[in-house]
Amino acid sequence: MLSRIAESMFWIGRYVERAEDTSRLLQTHLRLLVEDTSSEVDVCRNLLGLMSVSHVEHPTHEDLLRVLGYDAKEPTSIFACWAAARDNARRAREVIPLSLWECINTTWHQLPSGRFRSARAHTFLDWARERSALFTGIARGTMVRDDGWEFMSLGRALEQVDMTSRLVASASLRSGHTSWPSVLRGCGGHDAFLRTYRGLHTDREAAQFLILDSRFPRSVMHGLQTASHCLSRLTSASGQDARQSQFPTRALGQLRARLEYSDIGDLVDNLDQEMTWVQEVAADVTAAVTTNFFAAEDPTAWITEGTR
Amino acid sequence: MADLLTHYRAGAAFDEMVDDEGSVRPSYHAIHATLDSSTPAELKQIAESLANDYVQAGVTFDIGGVERPFPLDLVPRVIASPEWETIEAGVAQRVRALEAFLADVYSDARVIADGVIPSQLITSSNHYHRAVWGVHPGNGVRIHVAGVDLIRTPEGDVRVLEDNVRVPSGVSYVMTNRSAMITALPDAFANQRIRPVASYPQRLLAALRAAGQPTTDNPTVVVLTPGVYNSAYFEHTLLARTMGVELVEGRDLECRRGKVFMRTTAGLQRVDVIYRRIDDDYIDPVHFRSDSMLGVPGLVNAVRTGGVVLANAIGNGVADDKLIYTYVPDLIRYYLAEQPIIANVDTWRLEEDEAREEVLDRLDELVVKPVDGSGGKGIVIGPRASAAELDALRARVIADPRGWIAQPVVQLSTVPTLIDDELKPRHVDLRPFAVNSGDGVWVLPGGLTRVALPEGELVVNSSQGGGSKDTWVLSPPAHRVPSEPEELPAAEPEPTPAPPEAAPRDAAPSGPLKLGRMPSPLMPLRLGTQRQGSQSQRQGSQSQRQASRPQEEQQQQANGCADGQEALSC
Repeated sequence: MLSRIAESMFWIGRYVERAEDTSRLLQTHLRLLVEDTSSEVDVCRNLLGLMSVSHVEHPTHEDLLRVLGYDAKEPTSIFACWAAARDNARRAREVIPLSLWECINTTWHQLPSGRFRSARAHTFLDWARERSALFTGIARGTMVRDDGWEFMSLGRALEQVDMTSRLVASASLRSGHTSWPSVLRGCGGHDAFLRTYRGLHTDREAAQFLILDSRFPRSVMHGLQTASHCLSRLTSASGQDARQSQFPTRALGQLRARLEYSDIGDLVDNLDQEMTWVQEVAADVTAAVTTNFFAAEDPTAWITEGTR
Repeated sequence: MADLLTHYRAGAAFDEMVDDEGSVRPSYHAIHATLDSSTPAELKQIAESLANDYVQAGVTFDIGGVERPFPLDLVPRVIASPEWETIEAGVAQRVRALEAFLADVYSDARVIADGVIPSQLITSSNHYHRAVWGVHPGNGVRIHVAGVDLIRTPEGDVRVLEDNVRVPSGVSYVMTNRSAMITALPDAFANQRIRPVASYPQRLLAALRAAGQPTTDNPTVVVLTPGVYNSAYFEHTLLARTMGVELVEGRDLECRRGKVFMRTTAGLQRVDVIYRRIDDDYIDPVHFRSDSMLGVPGLVNAVRTGGVVLANAIGNGVADDKLIYTYVPDLIRYYLAEQPIIANVDTWRLEEDEAREEVLDRLDELVVKPVDGSGGKGIVIGPRASAAELDALRARVIADPRGWIAQPVVQLSTVPTLIDDELKPRHVDLRPFAVNSGDGVWVLPGGLTRVALPEGELVVNSSQGGGSKDTWVLSPPAHRVPSEPEELPAAEPEPTPAPPEAAPRDAAPSGPLKLGRMPSPLMPLRLGTQRQGSQSQRQGSQSQRQASRPQEEQQQQANGCADGQEALSC
């Protein structure tokens, strides 16, 4: 598969997943905001900080919606995610099933163009989650399991690892009051969690479930495993020597071992650091995949005769 | 709806649907009946859903970097079978003649030695590229794809307006228009047989593979696009997708030692045939524009050494120059020893002093076109132009007579077109597409009918805000035998026995029955096994359903165990 197309597929996977996870994160925190006792500005600033947004002074929940939701100019917004996904899909149009392209294109056309009041926020966020779910479903039902699919799955898995770690870290933002149930709900895993732990849960179990339970498809561990599988299939399918995926595979494996074998108490106590570490590994793996698989062309410099 | 059609008045031009006396031409009977039975509101709804489908599917044409849906009108243009046979033969003839002409001017140029064409016509062409002189394509084809623009004059004759043998575009809309129209007007399709257009990608791929075949058994074909911002990007993706080949940009390709490779996740992969949708000027910064960021350095050398085949070939522009166009009838006589099947539009060559003087006197009543323009750029329509525009044109023509031709203003034929709520005559042209595989020229039945949407407008180019229509070539009666699978009518809704006339009388007497002509069986065929459902859904027979009734009731009652009903489990 063409390197340029592979890169587009990877980013389509990432952006669609990011749009979904961002709406989950926003919904979770819009709900929490109502019950929160600390100041709105602090909570919003922390949350934006978690999403690596630092340029908003005294953010309110409306800024939150704007920056992460509908503002086309903010690179972190759901709007920007879909726009970027469509841009990539347009470049990879000939390898994407028609129905999948139509799903992306329709979503992009339906994106709200301006600001809206926070009363409509939940409708928008629900819609955003549904569009990502529709995309995932159509992709699963129509795409051939070739390299393109693997690159897209790899992108999705890495993004999901990254975003779940941010969502988990956001649970520790709120001191003195438990936000774990909301975070679990945000991941769509509250019921599964209750079934697994029979309702006798503590923060520690919730963290364990979201980070380590590989049976839950939004857990960090599940994402790491999926990413490793994609990499190994890509390596064997392309018939190349394993060097291309050596570093990323090793980085993912090391992270898995680190999470799996550390004491859960320590994990919960150092949640921020551990989750930052997860995000760093996801970024490193992305960088390595980019250089190893999407090999940028050597820059060519042209010199006109006689100018030397 | 009858109102809409009775109020339809054709203009001064030839109308494709209605003749001078106001009666509907035979080929339009079916579509007329369909329109006649629809209300304006229904038509409007169909038109809206067509537009909406195109936006959702991203069937767009970029104008100045903005994606716009390509307007599709719901009234098709219909071409009767005998007329199509003439067009088909005429288009193929032109392609064969131009092919011979290109082969000639890029080798020993007999055509000049024999005095058919003046030599300065070739040497002064901006699109004659010496870099490809002496390059002989493996299967002799330079024009793999051609688009020949046809118009119909007020007298009803079909004429050639121009040839496009560089990178003709628009064929994707032929295919998307057809699939959209089948959903929009199913009745009209059910009532007559229309020749399919969906085989175009297979024909094109076969021609491209044939072009690479002399050097390799299994050539790798790619489509080369300038990128997502090109106005025809949608078409490039559609062709790559439907041919099942890679769509590459210049930066995906690399030339090494006279061969071309594409960068893939598994390293470099050899490319044998490039269906390029980039103009000559941009294709190779080494030979042509050195500021091109779209091309592939070294591509021309690879072509010269035979390491790769470009389709269409470099340097084809010399054949679709509008000044060469005026000589095409001569070329047909010279190379093919045939008479031209479709005539040209009368054209003045402004290089010739007499012609130029006449044209400059009558600028306000003629159309003046640049010889190497495309997309309707630079065309000046005399009767519409202001005095200042005409003066500017006059100066440009005098400065560069080789660069211009003049033609009388031809009132293109019209087809009814839905404008707001009414059907109005709008001018159309037709671009049939021809594919040359080396074994013969195949012409796609139909082609792109472009329609100028503003009233009275004669420029139909998509880049000038034109729309399009589906083009229906009616099948000749011989095509209606039921044994041809692609010609089969839409599935009958019920498995009724065949109508009496289908049961052949001559097959009925003694002797083995011919299976192929049997009436359809009386019993519906049992195909596929019983579908499974979950326990509660698999209540096939009536008795089972009754037996399960109590269970159902219990389940309903079980919710309210507090209200004293007997409940099995709470």
